[in-house]
Amino acid sequence: MMHCYLYLSIILFCLGMVGVIARRNVFTVFMSIELMLNAANLVFVTFARVHEHVDGHVLAMMVMAVAAAEAALALAVVILLHKHKSKLDTNVFSLLKG
Amino acid sequence: MFADGLFLVFAVLAVLGAVGLVLFRHPMNGAMSFVVTLIALAGLYALLSAKLIFALQLIVYAGAIMSLIVFIIMFLNIQPADLPQEETKLLSILGGGIVVLPIGWFLFKIVKSLPMHSVAIMGTDFGGVKEVGLVLFRDWLIPFEIVSILLLVSLVGAVILAGKRGTAK
Repeated sequence: MMHCYLYLSIILFCLGMVGVIARRNVFTVFMSIELMLNAANLVFVTFARVHEHVDGHVLAMMVMAVAAAEAALALAVVILLHKHKSKLDTNVFSLLKG
Repeated sequence: MFADGLFLVFAVLAVLGAVGLVLFRHPMNGAMSFVVTLIALAGLYALLSAKLIFALQLIVYAGAIMSLIVFIIMFLNIQPADLPQEETKLLSILGGGIVVLPIGWFLFKIVKSLPMHSVAIMGTDFGGVKEVGLVLFRDWLIPFEIVSILLLVSLVGAVILAGKRGTAK
């Protein structure tokens, strides 16, 4: 049964990675990153249950806090970019290109 | 047996929500289907006896972070014309799948080599507020404080980034 949870987390992680690679909408890319963080969380909680120790739960809470901080900053950057370019296309955001 | 059926339901919901997130064109549809994934994952945490993480997943992830994202999507008032034209979307998703496939296969092999272990629901206090809190404030106190500083820094950074630009010049 433990393997089913880990397989599910692999599937979710791969789907998130495909979203980051293939899509060009900023919000979809951002939520795909959140999906990958959630897949990692699922692995933490599964192994916490397997070893019957709550360290994994604490780490999952840390990941949630980092995801919240990332959401606040990333959405501020998205608002700023939308103000400058009024586009949501990641191909348009090439300001660092020399 | 009942827990296995619930696992199957939640797993299918989670994968369907994730597929919807990758495939939907409008970010609002993607966000709604991502909420389905998050709630299904909360159910999986409950099946793994992680009571506190189950509640936090619902309150922090499905509640706070997703409502922030949905708020920003609505704040920008995105029309269908503003969205990037992704004519080769299915093709690039196929290409992304081909790129990701070896990584997934590698992880699959690793998981397959792990020994079998039962994850039946525990009736004890495992994963409750008291147990997690004791470990959090004994063994993980320094990381906890560092995370609180990280949240403060990101709060100030978000205010400075998205705040008034005219006053700085």
